[in-house]
Amino acid sequence: MKCITIDPITRLEGHGKIEIFLNDEGNVEKAYLQIPELRGFEQFCEGRAAEEMPRITPRICGVCPTAHHIASAKALDDLFKVEPTSPAKKIRELMYSAFVIEDHIFHFFFLGAPEFITGLKVPAAQRNILGVIDKVGLEIGGKVIEVRKRTRKIITLIGGKVVHPVCGLPGGVSKVLTEENRKEIKDAAEYAVEFGKFALKLFDDVVLKNKEYLDLIAGDVYKHRTYYMGLVDKNNKVNFYDGDLRVVDPDGKEFAKFNPRDYADYIEERPSVWTYVKFPYLKKIGWKGLVDGKDSGIFRVAPLARLNASDGMPTPLAQEAYEKMYDVLGGKPVHNTLAFHWARLIESLCGAERMLELAKDPEITDPNIRNIPTEIPTEGVGVVEAPRGTLIHHYKTDKRGILTDVNLIVATQHNAPAMCMSVEKAAKSLIKEGKVDDALLNMVEMAFRAYDPCHACATHSLPGQMPLEINIHNSEGKIIKTLEQS
Amino acid sequence: MKTLILGLGNPILSDDAIGIRIVQELKKVIPNADNIDFVEASIAGISILDEITGYDRLILIDSIRNRKGNAGEVYKMKMKDLNITAHLASSHGMDFVTAIELGQRVGYQIPKVIDIYAIEIENNTIFREKLSSKVETSIPKIIDTIMEENKGKF
Repeated sequence: MKCITIDPITRLEGHGKIEIFLNDEGNVEKAYLQIPELRGFEQFCEGRAAEEMPRITPRICGVCPTAHHIASAKALDDLFKVEPTSPAKKIRELMYSAFVIEDHIFHFFFLGAPEFITGLKVPAAQRNILGVIDKVGLEIGGKVIEVRKRTRKIITLIGGKVVHPVCGLPGGVSKVLTEENRKEIKDAAEYAVEFGKFALKLFDDVVLKNKEYLDLIAGDVYKHRTYYMGLVDKNNKVNFYDGDLRVVDPDGKEFAKFNPRDYADYIEERPSVWTYVKFPYLKKIGWKGLVDGKDSGIFRVAPLARLNASDGMPTPLAQEAYEKMYDVLGGKPVHNTLAFHWARLIESLCGAERMLELAKDPEITDPNIRNIPTEIPTEGVGVVEAPRGTLIHHYKTDKRGILTDVNLIVATQHNAPAMCMSVEKAAKSLIKEGKVDDALLNMVEMAFRAYDPCHACATHSLPGQMPLEINIHNSEGKIIKTLEQS
Repeated sequence: MKTLILGLGNPILSDDAIGIRIVQELKKVIPNADNIDFVEASIAGISILDEITGYDRLILIDSIRNRKGNAGEVYKMKMKDLNITAHLASSHGMDFVTAIELGQRVGYQIPKVIDIYAIEIENNTIFREKLSSKVETSIPKIIDTIMEENKGKF
């Protein structure tokens, strides 16, 4: 075996790359964020049987496989024109609630919280879960691990596999839940409800009671007046699994509410010359560039967007927390990007309460778990609220069910235009007359974390956490400084 | 000694699958595998902790891309190098070293011996089920290297 110098490529081409262009005075003219995309997924799928999709699509992403699996199963329901039975819908929603809890808790404690709990000025190397444990105690670290373990066990129990679930079928699910399963799920849900309450209390004590943090959350940093989108139930309450897509304007008024099947009437995608990502925007408002406001078609998704787009939470404790957040932050809608973290914890509690409701529902052990499809397939759309926001799967097939066209719009894509705006705002506040404040990298990173972009969705092979490179160009386009996260 | 041979990668993302392919091949050639578990996983970061807990020894196979790398080359790495292979770091979450330390602090049984083999790859951005030809043809050599390295240990 040879001894070589290891010099790994720290990013894929275009990954997490930011280009900032200065004008003659050395101030920011424009900033661009490039998010990469893996290529060839649509072509990979075309020519395959549509019913393979719930098993293939979770392989796009190691972070939200359950979201892809359920969105895909729902797209197959629509494609084969079959309504799942009521117990099947409940079993799917139960698994999905466990996934939302796990993902949100993981994100908050492992990615978001270190910024707030360990302190904003602590070196990057200590801003992680170990830093959080040092600050709040090992016991809390143990609880985080325990709630993750229990919810993942429930996903495995229902989905077959936690990383790549296999239970979703057109018209239902593959496995009946036993009374013994139900009891185990109920225990896990009760633990998750208690943990959800505890997490919000911790947020209250550590973050909200600290003026510096509260000012940061409520301040103008990363504040963008955009439209917001999310799934709502028939009472306009947040729903992760099903419902209509609702869009509210920057004043919080309902702009549109539609069946997800009609998404293409409301959302258009716009290709750009400088990134693989196609920017979605509201078709009826139009694309006005990377700007916010009522006249710009840019909208946001994910936890805060879902809360803004709804009239409340479907469960009592989450509703209390929802009301408190809007009281503290001055009413609806909240445009402050860092409030995504708070909204995430509220949703996690909501997921736990919903999981408990479903675990207590006698229908959950009903063996009537599937309607068999009998219709000829043509076209289907499936939508769920992934933890990171609205996820759309759209398939077209020939009459044999062989895929002829596949379109996926993932959450990070919906938020990509807003992320670009956040980057530009941070750049404008920290670069003056050619002088670059060293805080730039951290500020950009904080905005990223709030959106929780699913880079893993696009890129599996990335050394380092959230690799990021910022190139600053002078007015002649020459690179004058490069900042890299080590 | 209870050993885990863990291959990491995505089986439909071109060369990203190499860790999984190598585990499949090792399973065929390791003679006495009573105390060895072979696991293929498409995971990164903290999820690796779920797989490795309870073993005495861990052999990890993952992919890597170096700036001037030669596809198919295999490198044996130490703990201090752990953050730079494809799936031991995670673009979304925590790296493997942090995960190991977290596991130790909360009392998980973490393998005392950890060996990592990283295989130089060419492409991990295009969805397809085949490896690139350079990586595919290197598989026998990679297996020989790993078997030679571990002579008498399997």
